Amino acid sequence: MSHDSHHAPVASKLELAPERSDLGLIRPDRTTGWTDWLTTVDHKKIGILYGAFAMFYFLVGGVEALAIRTQLIRPDNDFVTARMYNQLFTMHGTTMIFLGVMPLSAAFFNFLVPLQIGARDVAFPRLNAFSLWTFVFGAFVLNASWLFEFAHLAGWLNGFEWHKHLAFTDFAPANGWFSYAPLSGTYGQNGQALRFTGVGTDFWIIGIQVLGIASLAASFNFICTIINMRAKGMTMMRLPVFTWMTLITAILIILAFPAITVALIELMFDRAFGANFFNPSAGGQPILWQHLFWIFGHPEVYILVLPAMGIVSEILPTFSGKALFGYPIIVFSGAVIGFLGFAVWSHHMFTTGLGPVPTAAFALLTMAIAVPTGVKIFNWLGTIWGGRVRFTPPMVLSLGFIWMFMCGGFSGVMHSSAPADSQQQDSYFVIAHFHYVLLGGVLLGLMAGLYFWFPKIFGRMPNAPLAYIASGMVILGFNLAFGPMHYLGLAGMPRRTHTYHAGNGWETWNYVATIGAYILGAGVFLAFANLAWTAFKGKKCASDPWGGRTLEWSLPSPVPEYNFAQAPIVATRDAYFEDKHGGKRIAYENDGGEAGVHMPSQSWMPLVASTGFLFAGFGMPMMAMGVPHAGWIVITGLGVLILGIWLWAVEGPGGYMLKTPAASGSPAPAETAAH
Amino acid sequence: MSETAAAHDAPTSTGIDHKKLIMWLFLASDCMFFGTLISTHLLYRKLYPSGFTDAEGHQRFIQNLFNIELTSFSTFILLMSSFLMALAVSAMHKGEIKSFRRNVLGVIFFGLIFLGCQVFEFTHFYHQGLTIQNSVLGSTFYVLTGTHGTHVAIGVLWLILMYFYSFTGKLGGHTGALDVEVAGLYWHFVDIVWIIIFTAVYLVEYLGPNGFWGTGLPAVTK
Amino acid sequence: MFSRFFSRVGLLAAPFLALVMAGCSKADMNVRQSTLDPKGPVAKMQYDVFMDTVWLVVVLFILVGGLLVYAVIKFRARPGDEDAPRIEEGHGNPLVEIGLITASIGALVIIAIPTLSAIWYDDDVPAESIPTSKLSAWYPRLEGAKENYAKVVEEQVLEIDVIGKQWWFRFEYPQLGLTNDAKRSVPNEFVIPKGKAVHINLRSEDVIHSFWIPKIAGKVDLVPGRKNHMWIQGDEVGHYYGQCAEFCGDSHAYMLFRVEVVEPAEFAKWVQRQKADSLPVVAGSKAETGKALFAAKTCMMCHNINGNPQAAGVFAPDLTHVASRKSLAGAWLDNRDPKAQLAKEQETLNTEQSVEIDRDVLKANLKKWIGSSGVATGADGKPTKDVKPGNRMHFYQAFSVSGLNPTFAPLIDAAENALTEAQAAAAKALVDAKGKSPAELATIKKAGDEKVVAATAALKKAREILTPEELDCLAEYLLTLK
Repeated sequence: MSHDSHHAPVASKLELAPERSDLGLIRPDRTTGWTDWLTTVDHKKIGILYGAFAMFYFLVGGVEALAIRTQLIRPDNDFVTARMYNQLFTMHGTTMIFLGVMPLSAAFFNFLVPLQIGARDVAFPRLNAFSLWTFVFGAFVLNASWLFEFAHLAGWLNGFEWHKHLAFTDFAPANGWFSYAPLSGTYGQNGQALRFTGVGTDFWIIGIQVLGIASLAASFNFICTIINMRAKGMTMMRLPVFTWMTLITAILIILAFPAITVALIELMFDRAFGANFFNPSAGGQPILWQHLFWIFGHPEVYILVLPAMGIVSEILPTFSGKALFGYPIIVFSGAVIGFLGFAVWSHHMFTTGLGPVPTAAFALLTMAIAVPTGVKIFNWLGTIWGGRVRFTPPMVLSLGFIWMFMCGGFSGVMHSSAPADSQQQDSYFVIAHFHYVLLGGVLLGLMAGLYFWFPKIFGRMPNAPLAYIASGMVILGFNLAFGPMHYLGLAGMPRRTHTYHAGNGWETWNYVATIGAYILGAGVFLAFANLAWTAFKGKKCASDPWGGRTLEWSLPSPVPEYNFAQAPIVATRDAYFEDKHGGKRIAYENDGGEAGVHMPSQSWMPLVASTGFLFAGFGMPMMAMGVPHAGWIVITGLGVLILGIWLWAVEGPGGYMLKTPAASGSPAPAETAAH
Repeated sequence: MSETAAAHDAPTSTGIDHKKLIMWLFLASDCMFFGTLISTHLLYRKLYPSGFTDAEGHQRFIQNLFNIELTSFSTFILLMSSFLMALAVSAMHKGEIKSFRRNVLGVIFFGLIFLGCQVFEFTHFYHQGLTIQNSVLGSTFYVLTGTHGTHVAIGVLWLILMYFYSFTGKLGGHTGALDVEVAGLYWHFVDIVWIIIFTAVYLVEYLGPNGFWGTGLPAVTK
Repeated sequence: MFSRFFSRVGLLAAPFLALVMAGCSKADMNVRQSTLDPKGPVAKMQYDVFMDTVWLVVVLFILVGGLLVYAVIKFRARPGDEDAPRIEEGHGNPLVEIGLITASIGALVIIAIPTLSAIWYDDDVPAESIPTSKLSAWYPRLEGAKENYAKVVEEQVLEIDVIGKQWWFRFEYPQLGLTNDAKRSVPNEFVIPKGKAVHINLRSEDVIHSFWIPKIAGKVDLVPGRKNHMWIQGDEVGHYYGQCAEFCGDSHAYMLFRVEVVEPAEFAKWVQRQKADSLPVVAGSKAETGKALFAAKTCMMCHNINGNPQAAGVFAPDLTHVASRKSLAGAWLDNRDPKAQLAKEQETLNTEQSVEIDRDVLKANLKKWIGSSGVATGADGKPTKDVKPGNRMHFYQAFSVSGLNPTFAPLIDAAENALTEAQAAAAKALVDAKGKSPAELATIKKAGDEKVVAATAALKKAREILTPEELDCLAEYLLTLK
């Protein structure tokens, strides 16, 4: 056991004497700049990194979406080829879900959860860094498929011997984000493993597998943090709702991801080793892939939605000037949604011939899940009711969230009726539905969260007029793009078709939808540009500009690295609001005292370990391509992974003591901006 | 992956150590993982109860392949390893490092015996004609039991590293006992999963006159 | 100012939805693949259930949306609020909560009941339809069938097997002898009798597809390894449009099909025509040349044509009656005059009305389709743009899958090798001739160049599997297959 932390406390980590880990290497604690960001274990910095990567991939996915809409602007268009279109929608869906929404949610988990529960960090700081870098490398592997694709299209790969032997030349995945077997799998008997698609699918399999590891590691960490690291007096029923939704989301992740992990392993064995899990020629049942995928995939929908619901549940009370209506019911309905989310997966499969009894059961369960969802909407309405609603950018976006999410929920109820769904399934009606939920709902919620907490993260206030304009463009463009898709679906336009004939009556609304998509794209870009500019150059603002309710607003902005100079002891829900407005006060415990507070040491090892996934992730598709010696890249990757974890285990956690400014009494009350 | 950075000076809200809690969470997730694999195997057993066709085109039944005595033996060995693991954890709590080393060496030894049995079994089955490629049964059987074997192998590797780490003198006190206990949790879990696999994959094949899935084959024909 | 304006941005969706609703005229409702214009009992049932959900949702939308709008406006912050005392903190009202939950459940029961009854109704031919739909009730006696078989079959409703492949559908009528085994299958355009329930068996031979004729019935998937079924019935004579609705690879968007609903008597005649062989070609005509080319160019290895004994393939669509179909290439290419068809649809306000096949359009389509499939070539000796990327005509030619196409690939390989050798030989000759006189060098160079040019021409010819004239003859032959 290392005893580094018994050194004298310092005022800044830069004042530390060089310290050696148990490996004898200098700990990167005193670093600044790049090295600091690469080795950081600070949940706030990790959160910012998650957010930056997520916003980058949002733009990537957005460009893919605009290419899709450009192709569909008129019938019989040939802006992109059929295959490129299929790759675009596959990568658009995969990117938005796994590289956009999930990491942006993770950014909020990271930044907010410790602050909201009055903790100084997460339970496993280095594991947290490992989750981040594993996500980064998984995302990179997935998108590297585009690099291979473009290199192939440009003819740069023609000189390679292995390239001449490829049966398929699709390098970016073209299976859809669901990758249904056997299109993604194999056919043929006795291990022939004949395929319908090329190495794009292998990139997808390994990319999602790595991203799954990142999500699982992060979720273990967050459940542990929320359950174990709450401030004194912070009982479970005093947790801020966002933290509650984080907890439920993390539980969903750890229970849902194993299903996709197993499915991906089975698919990988089919493709690489000629196994027969989903190979219909050898008795495999492709339908099993669908079951496994949706047992993961439906909870995944709630994994995407619940954090946004949590964010909105924080914003509405703040700007309505009153407590969240029905806190216990909101929390409970979140849990019920999470639980029921595991019991409705087959509603994605109503047209696969389940038979009437399972179809009926899943239809009823799906209707049932509308109840807790509706409860949330009622409670948000109840929160506004009788309040004093202030229309700030986060509030406008939150109201937009409720409205759009409600529309998406209504079309969801329409799908729950299996006979009606048999006409809607795989049509543009479904696209409209889930974009209302995931874009009108989740993205608006996340954007609301960005505008809400940006002053806390950077201590700077985003430009409000620009924020209103961007929000208006997003909401207008979004409705223009996806509203008409309800009609297109009912008019019989199927999903995932790269073109359509004139004469089907789909021309007008496709044109409108494309125009809407451009407005939406410009709005999102404007919003992100505004935020990026704010991060560096925005106007400085007070630490509690909105009149916040939860503990994070009691801290200075930007939040110091130790978060709480003294450990808070809370006595009520919405502790900071009560503290400010004559309710029960927050007590502070001078837990560090003269010795200072304990800070975890920074480390290279999480980054080193997760680099293993980069090698393995590149090596496996390259093996499938037939690149000579690619197997060694995989072995190297696994070696690096094991080595990294081992070094991580034996280097010792380290840590140092940091002096905090508050020596006695409660900290100076944060300034509150009048609004 | 050992650290309790922030927990150094503050007791946890629940009184459960972070490490122990995260291991329980991992095991919950792993339950779903094995649950999915075992379900896959059982679903396909129900769908194709009659076994597989070997390279010579003979219809083969899985009972022909199983050497249930050997598998029972390896199951027993794994159970005993869990017993030794419990002793190792207990020794660690009492600070008896030598007793810990003795017991953990036993666990490693038994784990290796189990893995050896599995390697022998796989080779034997392979020569009997069951491959990962020639049938769905082969795919589900090898991937399910192989995944479990990988878990055992990771556990063995973990314990070996821990065994050698104990000589550095850094494995001790409350933290050391906790680290061993967490490894123990993992080991017991892997053990319990094997009991389920042993029941669901091996033993049920001998239930009833025609096997649980109704293969049409008298169950115990060797 | 901004806040006042944008507080109402959320309301944009309401007029927008109203706009969509109001904007949907009858012409929008009955487009070719509309689900809002059901023409059979299955689609009708699905439409009715859908409308139940629509009404429920509209009521809820007005209620909840209205309350939200009201609350946002009524409870907006006003000047002076800053000084007002804090609002009393309430944490919810159990009575309201329970009431709303109960109301939600009640609302869902309203749609649950029709949903459940429709699930069972849609599953298979309902008992009450069987007496009027069974074959003995309307179909002429099954000629040629074994006595027992006929007896059993005639008590059944008509069954159609739908087989999905990348990227086309094959239809078989096993009770009536129209099967692939009997070399009598029907690709892409099938026919059903008006007002008679039909049981459909759905099978796939490769990946998952989905069978969807929006005006007749919602979709059911064709999953390899599974035996799915559904039932359909068309209540109005007409030409209906269907499409594969499950992503199935490169050319998913091109996987269309059609169904013709005809009077029962017409149906029986159609079956007889399907059993007939193609007519003999006129001696000395282009079609005769085309028929020879059909064999010589290996088309016959995959395609079947009854009446042409050489053409007996089972992998690709049966071409015996190809010229009688209104579409080609998985129904992507329409063989009717598009302008005339649109005019007819506008005149009748009914997309099921169809004009007849236009011979010129059909011929152009045939040439385009065959010409794009890697079988024929463009001016540069390479295949022209694909009508359907990834389709198997291209595939077999390009990769020479063993046993399917032994002819072309080796020829092309040999020609490519010959060209490489000629180039190498010419270069080597020049090197060997070092030091000779310029005149001699020129002669050697010329001889080498000529060989290279000849080899290049030979390669072009090898690649040029079908000349434009040959393509024309082949199209003429296919035009005779009515």
